[in-house]
Amino acid sequence: MKIESTRFGELEVEEEQFVKFPHGIPGFPDEKTFVYIPHDAESPFSFLQSSTEANLSFLLVDPFAFINDYEFVLEDEMAAKLDLSLENPPQVFLIATVLDKMVDMTVNLLAPIVMNGINRTARQVILDNPEYSIRHKLFPNGLPKEAVKGGR
Amino acid sequence: MLALTRKVGERIVIGDNIVVTVISVKGDNIRLAIDAPREIKIYRGEIFDAIASENKQAAVPHDLLELDMLKGLKLKK
Repeated sequence: MKIESTRFGELEVEEEQFVKFPHGIPGFPDEKTFVYIPHDAESPFSFLQSSTEANLSFLLVDPFAFINDYEFVLEDEMAAKLDLSLENPPQVFLIATVLDKMVDMTVNLLAPIVMNGINRTARQVILDNPEYSIRHKLFPNGLPKEAVKGGR
Repeated sequence: MLALTRKVGERIVIGDNIVVTVISVKGDNIRLAIDAPREIKIYRGEIFDAIASENKQAAVPHDLLELDMLKGLKLKK
């Protein structure tokens, strides 16, 4: 299936790359199907591209690559809705916002995306944790040195 | 939209299984108790709005050339 994307151009997408968001995403309640696009095998970054709106894509960050103590309790009802269990634990992503420069990237700690990687169903969950910021700076001390040198 | 006036201790029943009770009123602060099934998600309005607004910011396409430099980042020890 072909998908139009402003960021990626025309994408040929396999069925298993689609992720369903039955409730949409806050701000985009009608966007219920996205394509999950890894950035690179080793990369903590990935993308969600709307299957219907070429202009709509999100940059996602693997929280555990950057924030060692990031944690939350997924309520039983939410876990059940997403059909998650100990045998099928969720994949967790944070939505990143880059307003200008990469170094200013912020991530939304309060509303992670929780995904069932097997049935490819996901939801942006709003946590009840006043300590988690909607705009947490990912690189408070500037870009990591190894990245500035060019990574690998 | 329906607007109702309630006194402290009075309730509003929504559908079959949601009950909102006015617990107390102190100046501008109104304390409500909401009894609803657990699958009904309840958020403070401004938090939901802030997340929707942040999602809209995040969806603005931007140049991510620098992202390639960061792809090898590993878990910080």
